Amino acid sequence: MIIEMNNIQKQFGDLKVLKDISFNVDSGEVVSIIGPSGSGKSTLLRCATFLETIDGGEIIYMGQKAAHTDAEGKAVYVSHKELRNFRSYCGLVFQQFNLFPHYSVLKNLIDAPVHVQHRSREEAEKTAMDLLGKMGIADKANSYPYQLSGGQQQRVAIARALAMKPEILFFDEPTSALDPELTGEVLKVIRQLAEEKMTMVVVTHEMPFAKAVSNRVLFMDGGVIVEQGDPKEVFENPKMERTKAFLRVFER
Amino acid sequence: MTLTTMLSTMAAGMARTTGIFALTLIGSLPLGMVVALLRKSRFGIVRGIISVYIAVIRGTPLMLQLLVWYFGPFYLFGASIRGWRFPALILGFIVNYAAYFAEIYRGGIESIHIGQHEAGEVLGYTKAQTFMRIILPQVVKRIMPSVTNEVITLVKDTSLAFTLAYQEVFSLAKQISASQTSFMPFVIAGVFYFIANYVVAFAMARIEKSMDYYR
Repeated sequence: MIIEMNNIQKQFGDLKVLKDISFNVDSGEVVSIIGPSGSGKSTLLRCATFLETIDGGEIIYMGQKAAHTDAEGKAVYVSHKELRNFRSYCGLVFQQFNLFPHYSVLKNLIDAPVHVQHRSREEAEKTAMDLLGKMGIADKANSYPYQLSGGQQQRVAIARALAMKPEILFFDEPTSALDPELTGEVLKVIRQLAEEKMTMVVVTHEMPFAKAVSNRVLFMDGGVIVEQGDPKEVFENPKMERTKAFLRVFER
Repeated sequence: MTLTTMLSTMAAGMARTTGIFALTLIGSLPLGMVVALLRKSRFGIVRGIISVYIAVIRGTPLMLQLLVWYFGPFYLFGASIRGWRFPALILGFIVNYAAYFAEIYRGGIESIHIGQHEAGEVLGYTKAQTFMRIILPQVVKRIMPSVTNEVITLVKDTSLAFTLAYQEVFSLAKQISASQTSFMPFVIAGVFYFIANYVVAFAMARIEKSMDYYR
């Protein structure tokens, strides 16, 4: 198991966003998370990547506990220092890319490897150029984010996450901020990563993509996982009424 | 008094004006950042003190603040204020300008999209690294126009030093004008201020341009 999340609870004020969610991902697996907005998909990713702290439950990466629930039922995290170690296991690709605008594409990719992971600049640069090549944007290494199209920016963001050599990569609606014609180029890159057995969790509204690329689909609604399983099964033969109703909207 | 004597006396005054200007910037630009960060402190008491400080500084005239800095030690503690004129002046300016810079910095910091902080966090940067490497460079670019405004205002505000009878160019202009019954010193002072601000505006434009490579 790369990540195990057990009985995760998360609440914003009075609103329970995650209600006792358990979720794990095996090495090489590609999991798609679908569901209406407000269902807790993004919050789940943000908890997995430590951008949000859970209120209860446990998060285990590579068999090591990052957070667990104490005797009083409150979630306890490891120390700040140890948490940085856990962060290195996971990468996150944002809907809004969040590239660093003042850094060139190359610098976006090497800054954290050099200054956070203390890898050599040479090695980081080589890794970065290989990744940019794979993303089909090696010629943009010295450009600045504002000079790129949305699709190119998102591919840089994917490369930036991969440059940290994470064990698992999370995508939070990676194509939702893109024009339809740019969506394809980003999905193509994710598909290519799936073929290389990169472990990934993708929150998406691109149903055909989820169906074609993932090994498992999770349908979330109201802070719980309503249904999960083989994509073909979930999409063509959903068991739960809520899943059916949700998928029907996409068929129109 | 010949025009040459007048000019050279006032040039010496302009040097003192430049001194106030430079020392104020050296002190208040970094102090403003400290204030801006303290304003976002997790301790309510610290935030409270900082907002009172900013409210008082912005709510009272700089001229009054200078007088308080200079005469305060005598009236409050009966302390001797000999040799205190220049330190009081510089302190007054620094503490005043730091408050304004702090507000500019705060606006700049808050204008940076939360996604930049989150991207830094996810990539494993420490909070300090995220601030220094990711946030601050973008803040600097964004606040340059407001900082330029403030710096230009400072050039002109240095004339308030006349309140403490410090012999900078404006005090001298007043004195010489009165003693020589001449309008000339005011013209010279005006030209000096104008040139100084021209140089400041030029330098700031250069700095802004140097950050033009990204948006």
